Amino acid sequence: MSPLDPAVTTEALMRLGASTAEAVAKALDAICPEAVQRGDVSVVPGEESPFAGFPFERAAVAVSVHYVDGVTGGNVLLMTPAGARAIAAAMGGEAPPASADADLTELELSAVAEAANQMFAAAASATGVVLGQDVEIAPPDTRLLDGPAAAGEAFEATPHAVGATFHACGEPCRLVQLVPNAFVVRMTRALDEQGTEQLSGDAGLSALGIARRVEPGEERALDEALRDIRVRVWAELGRTRVSLGAAPELPPGAVLELDRKADDPVDLYVNGLRFASGRLVLTEEGEWALRLEEVAGRTKEGVI
Amino acid sequence: MARVLVVDDAAFMRKVLTDALVAGGHEVVGEAGDGEAALAAYRELAPELVTLDITMPTKDGLATLRELIELDPAARVVICSALGQETKVLEAIKAGAKDFVVKPFERERLLGAVAKALGQASATPAA
Repeated sequence: MSPLDPAVTTEALMRLGASTAEAVAKALDAICPEAVQRGDVSVVPGEESPFAGFPFERAAVAVSVHYVDGVTGGNVLLMTPAGARAIAAAMGGEAPPASADADLTELELSAVAEAANQMFAAAASATGVVLGQDVEIAPPDTRLLDGPAAAGEAFEATPHAVGATFHACGEPCRLVQLVPNAFVVRMTRALDEQGTEQLSGDAGLSALGIARRVEPGEERALDEALRDIRVRVWAELGRTRVSLGAAPELPPGAVLELDRKADDPVDLYVNGLRFASGRLVLTEEGEWALRLEEVAGRTKEGVI
Repeated sequence: MARVLVVDDAAFMRKVLTDALVAGGHEVVGEAGDGEAALAAYRELAPELVTLDITMPTKDGLATLRELIELDPAARVVICSALGQETKVLEAIKAGAKDFVVKPFERERLLGAVAKALGQASATPAA
């Protein structure tokens, strides 16, 4: 399978776009509670400017970050000046100002940059989950743009882009992810290694709340491409939660109680999806194995 | 009440932190916008506590923290992180930070973290 197979590339880009948009929307919602509406996530066709979908009636405020390690690429968040002002006010715990005619102050621009920093940090974390490695971002860069052409000049073009739309405080926002080929290769490899939780591409996209139109034949090709993917399988004895503050203070010798009794079955996970349960048994070689009692709702026994 | 150095590359966050700390009765003795300036200010001002951002240009919060602890092993540092930086927070705690807050934070949460950091430090037996 070519790492840049169009169907798999689209899958990777949509997965990336969905996880990023979700994280950005959540972070934005924390800043502007009950004032965020989510829109579409879409892969931008190669011949189109990823910035063309934004209404440049006046100058737009653009905040961008790039990744400092882990992966290449970057994110750009476009806002109207009124939207930027409202987000800046929300950052300070204030209501949006009545008039948005005056130029944004340095402090307002700094507040917007900080808001974007918080959104992009959450997005980088979400991307890191997909890639299976930490993704760090550089400090944000803020600039004023007067149209799509200025945006195209300000940010280096990449072979791929994903766009997501929002409304925050009644103003439109557009999130653009600029994605180089190297990023897609790493993304598809990561998905390849993880097998992706979805055995059908669209099932996974549906789980992320995305509907994608599938061309005749594409779904079959995608299924065939995904069928040979190796997936990670592990057994889980039980789990518990501790606060982030408490975790580093746990001393050696501490006992953490898990949520399972000693005679409860053990869960089998396939790439993060609970898939089966069974009992731990010892093989003749002295290794642990799992005797399956229930597999995806079926109860015929088998040993894995 | 403590003499505090506020370190964040965003002027807005420096203002938010300063307002909150002053409202809590602390004195902000200095501000820095990057790691190098923070280390220089620490040497010059000898603050009792530092609030330290993670994502900063040239020298990030974690690298700054490690140099700060090397400079003064008793330094009291509260990390200001964003959502999704949990790994960085754990690294910072392991490196010697006393506590952390996650942006956007409530004023009371910040003041609680500062109090905890000061309390932890004062509870340490003198060498």
